[in-house]
Amino acid sequence: MGILLFITVLLISACGLIYELVAGTLASYLLGDSVLQFSTIIGCYLFAMGIGSALSRYINRGLAYRFVWIELLLGVVGGFSSALLFLAFAYSQGFQLLMYSLVIVIGVLVGLEIPLLMRIIRDRYHFRDVVAHVLTFDYLGALGASLLFPILLVPHLGLVRSAMLFGILNAAVALWSTWIFANQLARTVVLRSLCVVVIAALCIGLVEAKRITQAAEDNIYADEIIFARDTHYQHIVLTRFKDDIRLFLNSHLQFSSRDEYRYHEALIHPGLSAIAAPRRVLVLGGGDGLAVREILKYPQVESVTLVDLDPEMTRLFTTNPMLTGLNQKSFLSPRVHVINADAFPWVDTNTDSFDFIVIDFPDPTNYSLGKLYTTTFYKAVARHLSEQGLMVVQSTSPMFARDSYWCIAETIKQAGMLTYPYHVYVPSFGEWGFVLAGHHEYRPPTSLPAGLRFVDLKTMPALFQFPPDMAPLSMPANRLNDQVLVHLYDQDWKDISH
Amino acid sequence: MGLAAKSEPQIIGGFVNDSFQQGHLLRDRAAFPSPKRIEKVPIVIVGGGIAGLSAAWRLHKSGFKDFVLLEMCDQAGGNARWGENEITAYPWAAHYVPVPGRKAIYVRELFEDIGVLKDGKWEERFLCFTPQERLFLYGRWQEGIEPAIGLTQSDREQFRRFEEQIHRFRETGKFTVPMEMGFSEGNAELDRISFADWLREQRIDSHTLNWYMNYCCRDDYGATSDQTSAWAGIQYFASREPEEKGPLTWPEGNGWIVRRLLERVGPLVRTGQMVHRIVQNGSRLKVFAGDAEYQAEFVIFAAPTFLAPYLIEGMMPLRTFEYSPWLTANLTLDRMPRSYGTDPTWDSVFMESPTLGYVDATHQTLRTHVDRTVWTFYWALAEGSASQNRRLLLSSDWSYWKEAILHDLERVHPDIRQCVSRIDVMRMGHAMARPTVGSIFSTERRSLAKPHGNLLFANSDLSGFSIFEEAQYRGVVAAEHALRRVSR
Repeated sequence: MGILLFITVLLISACGLIYELVAGTLASYLLGDSVLQFSTIIGCYLFAMGIGSALSRYINRGLAYRFVWIELLLGVVGGFSSALLFLAFAYSQGFQLLMYSLVIVIGVLVGLEIPLLMRIIRDRYHFRDVVAHVLTFDYLGALGASLLFPILLVPHLGLVRSAMLFGILNAAVALWSTWIFANQLARTVVLRSLCVVVIAALCIGLVEAKRITQAAEDNIYADEIIFARDTHYQHIVLTRFKDDIRLFLNSHLQFSSRDEYRYHEALIHPGLSAIAAPRRVLVLGGGDGLAVREILKYPQVESVTLVDLDPEMTRLFTTNPMLTGLNQKSFLSPRVHVINADAFPWVDTNTDSFDFIVIDFPDPTNYSLGKLYTTTFYKAVARHLSEQGLMVVQSTSPMFARDSYWCIAETIKQAGMLTYPYHVYVPSFGEWGFVLAGHHEYRPPTSLPAGLRFVDLKTMPALFQFPPDMAPLSMPANRLNDQVLVHLYDQDWKDISH
Repeated sequence: MGLAAKSEPQIIGGFVNDSFQQGHLLRDRAAFPSPKRIEKVPIVIVGGGIAGLSAAWRLHKSGFKDFVLLEMCDQAGGNARWGENEITAYPWAAHYVPVPGRKAIYVRELFEDIGVLKDGKWEERFLCFTPQERLFLYGRWQEGIEPAIGLTQSDREQFRRFEEQIHRFRETGKFTVPMEMGFSEGNAELDRISFADWLREQRIDSHTLNWYMNYCCRDDYGATSDQTSAWAGIQYFASREPEEKGPLTWPEGNGWIVRRLLERVGPLVRTGQMVHRIVQNGSRLKVFAGDAEYQAEFVIFAAPTFLAPYLIEGMMPLRTFEYSPWLTANLTLDRMPRSYGTDPTWDSVFMESPTLGYVDATHQTLRTHVDRTVWTFYWALAEGSASQNRRLLLSSDWSYWKEAILHDLERVHPDIRQCVSRIDVMRMGHAMARPTVGSIFSTERRSLAKPHGNLLFANSDLSGFSIFEEAQYRGVVAAEHALRRVSR
């Protein structure tokens, strides 16, 4: 009997500490500044325990009965605390208020536990032994919890399920207390059924926890997530708000269906319309098929070869009805050939020649992607250009990443081509930049395909004008052995986000 | 709770390219079979490492093709040998060449010949890609190997003073690659003390700086800074002033250069031919290898020079040549370990480790996405006596080295055991010459290095230390000497 009692002490102490650690970790994850979060949470919690201890003197009757109730309450509040906090962060403004309230409620309840328990059992043993044993097991429980939490619980169960698991333990303590203190309790059947209900509710929570975090994550993106998948290469997320579909790759916005026509018309037509008889076109990247949609507006184009790394991406934009609605089933055209390959080695080993080459890669956020913006890469691409051919390069924003933009332009120039930088305003992106390049002087087009919404002959020259805040800067070229672009890009975006 | 213990994946592998057995036959003066045939060849090159292959390249390029190159191992290349598996080619030892300066005329000529240098421009895909190097210290990675984080005011001041000193040495033009070009009697003093002592004389007591100096000596010479001549320590820093961000490297390391050389001289290279005796016979030399006796006008001895007294009849034992034992390993990774804070680099070094870190064979890929790779792990057994380390190298089994390597890597990649599927280990008892105190200005080294007679020494160890440019220089110089005198 004695040892069961003290295991109870050990467990309730562990539960209390786990709730506190969960709150501290969650706050650090979601709000940052872990020193502040942990300090204030530990402070509040210890202070609330003090309040609980002080309040314990006002409980005079039915000690065992109230102890069981406190354990049950702790099981419910503590067990669901993490799930509640996740949802509160995603759906409300009151995350911090809720968090500190929960910490105080849990602290008060935990503060009540030990004084009550000591009073319940004081007649069974010497007071000297009660104090010694209760406090020993209390501290042992704390040690156990603080070791379990980082090593097993967080990595294997996560925050939501760890809290639920310890909620179940709390409720289990309540349940077996009804046997340990049976002689001091009336109506044990009611109490026991209540305990079973709480344990069942928490068990359901434990199993369904994934859905709760999922629901919370959905809300961290502004709009409803309609598709999310981790492919071998990237994290693809599609969101929808009314008629606006957005594609995110590794959380970077790729397009918004409301204004992507501006981006893709500007990417394709100034170049492709300027080529006398374009027959063969190459697209590097552009797995959404939107650039290909624009290219297919030219009946003279006999074949479009698209090289994109990720087969799941091109499959998605070939088969999903909502997305093929956006790219007008461009990947299903018999003129289009999709190749899933890493672009640089493909360009390096393939020997075909093309009249127009579109390079539409993700921004150079790391050294791997940075290779696709080097002199060596552009030289390799240039070998595929036909005599009168042109290529166009997605080149980040000349407004937000001005150094990067002009670095890319310089890199293409040093790869031995004539360059014609231009830019376009895309509301969901801001000012966006492209570089047209070729072996010969670029002559703007004299006609365009019918039905364009953004590019027209009259306003096209304006795209090639850069106002002072985006004007050319003298930048070094980006090379494989000296990738200055990745540093510039990093710095450019840091400058505007702080 | 459904927590199943993860079982450790099986790691296979073993020792590869062992060649000490053949060496020990020579050392123990074993009996070799008598020759069954005689072959008359004007020039015989002994040893198919970079020195021997460079001699062959020079002869061949001058239109002289009447020679043979005899290589003991089944694969030519010596310290520039390479391997290949289904993932990538990878080096077994030497894995890069610093971008050569103007004085390295023979290396520049070679690089023009094999497409590395075109119209005065270095081929970009052979220059090491960004990010080149990283160092693990204080529990995190930094870019570059020279420690740059956590420096005290005094560390910085000492780094600055050291750089000023090196700058002065560089300005004298007496420290060059190849070393022969600038070699000056005036610096003999520097060969009388160790690099560690010289640093002490300069009042450089920074722990960080001394770690870095010691690392550089272990990396280039296989010796600690107190085993290295101060002249050689200074040579390491003062001899290079690259015109381009380098170094030059390839997936198979310097094996790529060997491949290009073999494309040219391959038919004249005979592998698996251990030379066991060389005898002067009037004006000619007899070279015994396998079942053949070669009768040559000139022999270019490009094998490590310490072997010479065991092969050449009548040669006195050598006194100054010391060699460093090394261990390299190639690790096959079926997935990349988690790496926090930096993009993976070409070369990764861990501070305060007895090893030299590892190099990634797929770093020079043009791909943006890599799932599997091969790492070459380098370990110069520098601490303590070379002979003791050689015994350790031979007496410890493969799993001893496997565990030692994994322990070292685990400090920086906790999940490494989950990533590696194979570890092949290569043991080299005499991997490279050690530029010990007094070795650079020793009369023995200098007289062997000077080509005379019809037996020409060409190994890089004649420079006192084993680096690509020295091997190539010695090979080419010996070939030119022979070319001028050989009867055609």
